[in-house]
Amino acid sequence: MAARSLPLTAFATVFVVAVVVLSATLVVPVGAADDVEPVPFGDTFTLGLTDETVRQTEAKGLSIPRVEVYYSAYEYVVGFNSVGSYVAEQGRTGHEQRFGQPVAAFVSDYAGANASLTDDGYLTAEGEVEFAPAEETVIVVDSRARLPSGPVAVPFSDRDDAAAFVDAYGGEIVPWTAVTERVQAREPASAATLRAAVENRSTWANDSVAATTARDRPTSIVVGEDAESLAAAVAAAPPNTTVELPPGTYHTDGLVVNKSLTIAGAGNATTIRGNGNGTVVTIAAPRTTLTDLRVDGVGDVGSRRSMLNTTQIEGLNWSKNVELAYGRGDAAVRFINAERSLVANVSIETPASGIVTLDSQGTVVRESTVAVAGGTQEGFMGLVAMYEPIVVEDTRFSGGRDGIYTHRADGIVVRDSEFTDHRFGIHEMYTSDSLLRNNTARDSNAGIFMMTRPSGNLLVGNDVRNSRVGISTAGSQSYFRGNVVVNNGRGFNVYSTQSLYTHNTVVGNDVGLRAGDALATNLLTANDIVGNEQAATASIGPLRVWTVGEQGNYWGPAPGSDTDGDGHYERAFRPTGPVDSRVQTTPGAWTLGRSPAVDLVRTVQETVPGLRATGVVDVAPRTTPARPETLAELRASGNVTEVAG
Amino acid sequence: MIRPRLVAAVAGREVRTLLRNRALLAVAAAFAAVVIGLGGASMGSPGGYVSLTYDLLLPVELLVPVLAFAIAFQSIRGDDERGTLSILRTYSVSRLEYVLGVFVGRALPAFVLVVAVLGAAGVVAGLGAPATSSFLATHSAGDTPLIYGRFVLFAGWYVLATVAFVLAASALARTDREALAAGVGVVVIVAFVADLALVALLTTGFVGDLIGVLVGLAPASAFRGLVLELAIRPAIAADPGVATGHPLVSALGLAGWTVAALATAAVAVWRPVER
Repeated sequence: MAARSLPLTAFATVFVVAVVVLSATLVVPVGAADDVEPVPFGDTFTLGLTDETVRQTEAKGLSIPRVEVYYSAYEYVVGFNSVGSYVAEQGRTGHEQRFGQPVAAFVSDYAGANASLTDDGYLTAEGEVEFAPAEETVIVVDSRARLPSGPVAVPFSDRDDAAAFVDAYGGEIVPWTAVTERVQAREPASAATLRAAVENRSTWANDSVAATTARDRPTSIVVGEDAESLAAAVAAAPPNTTVELPPGTYHTDGLVVNKSLTIAGAGNATTIRGNGNGTVVTIAAPRTTLTDLRVDGVGDVGSRRSMLNTTQIEGLNWSKNVELAYGRGDAAVRFINAERSLVANVSIETPASGIVTLDSQGTVVRESTVAVAGGTQEGFMGLVAMYEPIVVEDTRFSGGRDGIYTHRADGIVVRDSEFTDHRFGIHEMYTSDSLLRNNTARDSNAGIFMMTRPSGNLLVGNDVRNSRVGISTAGSQSYFRGNVVVNNGRGFNVYSTQSLYTHNTVVGNDVGLRAGDALATNLLTANDIVGNEQAATASIGPLRVWTVGEQGNYWGPAPGSDTDGDGHYERAFRPTGPVDSRVQTTPGAWTLGRSPAVDLVRTVQETVPGLRATGVVDVAPRTTPARPETLAELRASGNVTEVAG
Repeated sequence: MIRPRLVAAVAGREVRTLLRNRALLAVAAAFAAVVIGLGGASMGSPGGYVSLTYDLLLPVELLVPVLAFAIAFQSIRGDDERGTLSILRTYSVSRLEYVLGVFVGRALPAFVLVVAVLGAAGVVAGLGAPATSSFLATHSAGDTPLIYGRFVLFAGWYVLATVAFVLAASALARTDREALAAGVGVVVIVAFVADLALVALLTTGFVGDLIGVLVGLAPASAFRGLVLELAIRPAIAADPGVATGHPLVSALGLAGWTVAALATAAVAVWRPVER
């Protein structure tokens, strides 16, 4: 009898145990927010402030008020440099959908940290500033405290300390709950502000070009007639006159121009030739023009940093280190403190760098060619721009490492130029608010490569083909519009944050869009991504929703329907999913894509996108391309073997 | 009044019947495959228990009544068919004892199956999650196994209620065909009709604010309401703002339906023998 009742006894035992154990889950409270502790800031996913600002504050020994937030639907702790960055992200379109709500927040607590301002108004503190729970703090806003990037709000856990700070430096005390209203934040990447920024930079570039090309200087000296050598001519010429170089080759051991002159050749027939050592022409005076000639005979040292020993490098700050590595090598033409200078119709051949500009605001390089080849370091940079914005237009770069390398050249404009056969066509380091417009790049490791978390960069209408990476993005609040990336290994590296990608055409790449592991805060809408081997791939991190409002991107024909006729499929498209990624390439995937079972699984996976990891989904894919004429041109040109749709 | 020994005897017989039924074992295997498979669909992603609970809520809501149907629709009717009922009636076992025994014998294995399968799905979904980047701080944001545990508990509770429903249908039916039809009917009502009726009521405008209560009265909605309110809601800070359901009403609803269904079955199973 015992054996006969064994199954029932077993079931009953399991039942009782299961009920007891599972019922216990009802007793234990779920909310886990109470035991959350602040983590070291370096362990967070960081947003806010550019690397440049952070490095500057470190170099100056300043203090950045920081915020750490635990979001309900995001497993990583998000760290914000400055309270303003936190406020900006809270207000971003689609923020809450992605991250959920803050479960816990901690801010730098300046109470007891002896917070004070330098003579310039920069915020400093003594020792390590600890984190305190945000809701227990008050924030001093509108005081004189600032960072190199602008005004900054300062949190205190102790109201008396805050009051003392306000007495000393002005401002007003507000509770943490009021930060979203009271703390200034950089405007989010809205289409209107970004378009205005493009116009703004274009106007600045136009003005710079107009200012530099309008110079009409009388000829004072013709080399060969009025002076024996180029050096003698430059020494003899009065400022604001033109030194003329008739056809011929002019040898120099390194020409230094330190007054505002125009040096004009007769086109390709005029050559300034260095002796193969060092820089050929150094321009150290503002408003200098170099035009209608060729430059060669450049030394072959790309970077001087490797020639120094460690003690010589040790004392340099981070930025000087970069300057030494990239801005002090041999070049055909080198500008130092030469603002508003001009290089026009100049043709450069160099085994090291072509043009280097340091502190030369508003200098223009146009209608020129820079060919980098050979040399002990296989060539260096076509153009290096440091510290001040310049304009490069209608110029052809080929060979070497980078076509253009920028370092802290905020606001640089590069447009209508061509880049071929580089490591990177344009390589931006610590450079924000730049405009790269209508450039083409071919056969390079990367057409455009951005690094070091800048902000406000504008990439409009560029065209990169046949490269390993088309455009690799970084930083925040940037704008990627109307770019064409075709037949590359990867079209876009989507490594930026809080940036807007729209009207880009991504065709025929091995991977169209590569989502990096930065925070999934980018806005992608109205892009055409077709005929790529894989439309998108993604590394770790939560699901990225590449739809803005109700408007997604065009991924080619998809197994869905648009019953309300708004131009978007009701069915979401998952370019990283096993079925959708094959819909346009593998027979049968389409049929499978319409299966209710697949629908069920997809619904299941989309319910809590913030927690459900990996991949990309477009919840409102377009039924037609955003830029059909561009796709049609690509198809007609035969460059693209297979463009669906 | 209720003699546990008799109930256990009936239940033991039911369990043995179930375990001998190959078709039923196949149904159980299919259920396991679907649910664990759905859990596996989220394998490899560091999803979490809130997601998994969401993932499995709809499938469980639909599949559990089907499972209950498969397990219980033939029970009482089958005994009747084979004449076992007539024999049983001559013993001292009461109607209630008999129905309780059948319920325990059928519902316990169903409960254990559902809990075991969901547990397995939970384990499978947790497998293969790529190690989160070790140099970054992570947190679970309240995403603990507790949530999933609550969900499994409610699913087990839900299966008890649905088995009771099917038993009632089985007891009410007079022929095999009726039992089949009634069983299917119960599944459809539990899974669809009750909620649709609620929506219809809403459209008429009579119920208005009572929706929270009424939702607790439809078995599937009661289950869903419990999961949403007690398992998922505490874990997500994206708060819907108002209560997703009344847990108390939902709990009473599920329990009430179970008791009512069993009572119906007990009344319908045979006329009391006059002694």
